[in-house]
Amino acid sequence: MEADITPEALIRRASTIGGRELDRFREAGGRVVGYSCVATPRELLDAAGLLPYRIRALGSTARELADARMSRFNCSYCRSCLQLGLDGTYDFLDGLIETNGCDHLRGMFENWQHDRSPGFFHYLRVPHLKNEDTHAVYLEELELLRAALRDHFDVPISDEDLRRASARQERVRAKLEQAQGLRDHDPPALSGAEALALSLLESAWPPTEFEALLDRVLASRRRASITGRARLLLAGSATDELGLLQAVEELGGLVVSDGLCYGARAFWRESVHAGADPLRELAAAYLDDLLCPRMFDDYERRLAFLRQMARRAAVDGVVLVHNKFCDIHGVDNARLRIDLEAEGTPALVLEKEYGAASDLGRIRTRVQAFIERLRR
Amino acid sequence: MNETLHTPIRDGLFDRLVQLADVITALPDQLSDEEVAGLRRVLPADTARAIGAAFEPYLRRGSVPFLKLAARHVQQARRARAEGRKVILMPFNFPPEVILIFRSAVPLCCEVITTLGVAVLEGAGERYWDEATALGLPDFLCSSSTIELGSILSSRDFRPDGLVQSTAGACDANSKVHEFVSLHLGIPQFFIEKPADSSARSRAHQRRYFRRFIAELERFTGETLDEGYMRQVLELANEATDLWYEFYDLHKFTPCPVPNLFSLFSYGTRFTSWGQRRAVDALRAMTDLGRERLERGLYPAEEEIARCVWLYTGYYFDLWGLFNWMESRGITYLHDALSLFVPIHIDTTSKETMLDGLAEAVFDYPMTRTMGAGSMSLSWIEDMVHFIRDLDANCAVFSGHHACKQTWSVFSRVRDEITRQTGVPVLCLQGDSWSRRITTAADLRGQLDAFVGSVVARKRRRAARRRRRQNMFKTDS
Repeated sequence: MEADITPEALIRRASTIGGRELDRFREAGGRVVGYSCVATPRELLDAAGLLPYRIRALGSTARELADARMSRFNCSYCRSCLQLGLDGTYDFLDGLIETNGCDHLRGMFENWQHDRSPGFFHYLRVPHLKNEDTHAVYLEELELLRAALRDHFDVPISDEDLRRASARQERVRAKLEQAQGLRDHDPPALSGAEALALSLLESAWPPTEFEALLDRVLASRRRASITGRARLLLAGSATDELGLLQAVEELGGLVVSDGLCYGARAFWRESVHAGADPLRELAAAYLDDLLCPRMFDDYERRLAFLRQMARRAAVDGVVLVHNKFCDIHGVDNARLRIDLEAEGTPALVLEKEYGAASDLGRIRTRVQAFIERLRR
Repeated sequence: MNETLHTPIRDGLFDRLVQLADVITALPDQLSDEEVAGLRRVLPADTARAIGAAFEPYLRRGSVPFLKLAARHVQQARRARAEGRKVILMPFNFPPEVILIFRSAVPLCCEVITTLGVAVLEGAGERYWDEATALGLPDFLCSSSTIELGSILSSRDFRPDGLVQSTAGACDANSKVHEFVSLHLGIPQFFIEKPADSSARSRAHQRRYFRRFIAELERFTGETLDEGYMRQVLELANEATDLWYEFYDLHKFTPCPVPNLFSLFSYGTRFTSWGQRRAVDALRAMTDLGRERLERGLYPAEEEIARCVWLYTGYYFDLWGLFNWMESRGITYLHDALSLFVPIHIDTTSKETMLDGLAEAVFDYPMTRTMGAGSMSLSWIEDMVHFIRDLDANCAVFSGHHACKQTWSVFSRVRDEITRQTGVPVLCLQGDSWSRRITTAADLRGQLDAFVGSVVARKRRRAARRRRRQNMFKTDS
């Protein structure tokens, strides 16, 4: 295996904000736009020649600047992201796209915009329901985003550009699904931490470079085999903490599948949309496949998605994680646990502080006890 | 054996409130001091304290109609099934008149039931919160809804026929816990989406969403809205709206002639009964009493020291120990973000104008309007700066209800801007507005006292000295 794609190297490369590939892209005159929520169609930015960069905190726990703005009743993940926005770490961004993902996220963006205004700022308003009216509204929102990008960056986005970007994204998605296939194997050929690393790199690197890397990783892992005590599915709130997955896997809990918005939920597509208008297709696909608890009247689909992922990977149990004060995942996890347990799938709800190393001991104990419960 | 021993105990929040409601509605409209004293002796301690707060002689005449209104809101839901009507449980940020325009449905406001429960029932609703968390719901949800919903989830309480979901995008805690109840108990949910800005485009979307919502309710109730009946309800709502503006204006006088508790009662009225005769009666009683006190120059303390606008919610678990105590110390609770609901006059010309008016009312309702706005902080700042100036407030208080994550996420900006634009000091408290477990009333009183004594009163004295000096210069010249 080449040195730059070993599991350790992948995780190391995904553990930095920025990085060589991003620097090269910027040095060549490329512009980078930050976004936070999976409801943001990356294809629209890619079609404009902009690099969509998904904001992350990577387990960072420094929050003093953010705490002066938000409060201890706000989720620590959002506060960590805000901290990185305010301390200049994200100054490489040429713009920001806000979405109404949750109450904490909206607060994070408002403070970020106010205290350290990026050159470009756009609020992409995503409906909370899926019906004929909201599909039309979301399409309008994407039209507005397209116009805002065009006006600010002086880049027209034609339907042809959009089709090209969509085709590329579909190709990458299909390859990420292949990577998921490697986890479905028994024993798995790709660890949960590696899969999360790939997903993090996908939303940070220029698409061509990432696709090349992904091809190499897929080719190199085909015969790999990872052993552990139990096969787990990890689902829940925004989790970009590679260290958390590594800690769980060190205990023998192989994260063979996930329902994380930095993971499978970011690339999994259920719906099929084809038509003459690429923006309309994009709007329909993003809204229909938005498997996030911020959506309403859609719980059954979220549950079905987890069931499907659990079945594919033949998991022994499900770990449902959320950050303290995360209402949307906190409540959804309570319901998911009841439903999964009723179906005979053991489920553990893990509430945690984002990125807190001091919390890791408690998390280890609980995961260990859960693995014992699975009689593994 | 005594048969009553075998009667199953209905100890849900709603059922316990119904029992108290039966006592309240049986009371005469005019109560003497002796009757109030007798009543307090027979009621449990927590209930007696809350009822006592509302029955203080200086506000009793305005309180009785409100307490009867609240009692009838509960009784109306209890009777509904026998009358062939459906009970729709709705969050506080939804106008009850939208349900009342249906002959076959009655609204029940979740947060009002919780508030009544924590304010007047022995045990302050804590057991229902525990029921909810025992199911695995997180302990950082909002007690305002979770206490009542916890009681429903226990399956030992009244079960509504349907739920309104109107908080998505304005409050995650509220919207998610309602969804949980719907899924857990199989109660149908009706959604109304709120576009995240107030542009003309968004308002047009809202009108479309609202019609979809109404169509779903029509299917659920099996009733097609009747224009004549709608008009009847909305004309009563408009009557209440006119009175509210009169009620609001009374707060502009110094000292404020309107007792502190009436601010809470005004939104209790809005959130349960707008569109019913009893809302008009309750508001009229409060407004009349306020006007009379203005004419007689009455105020509960020797002087009014602090005129507070509460920036979001208040604290509701000890009415006597907080609302009444404040005014006994010269601290006026002018309004909070919930009582500043700014009702609109609905055009009753046609069914379409009425539906448009109701869609507008939903759009601009408390919390939805600010926390569901394109910018929470800007919308909140704009509203509060306006009200602080309009009501001549000299301080502001943020209750810091810990479940309001959306307000907490932008509060520091709001505090800075309010102080910069209006010059009034802002106190930030922390606690749970519906639970005494987090910060006690005694602790809150201590913090309010210190703030008013060391910041507001001192500022006021400095301003008075400055005015005196300016007057002296004017006299000299």
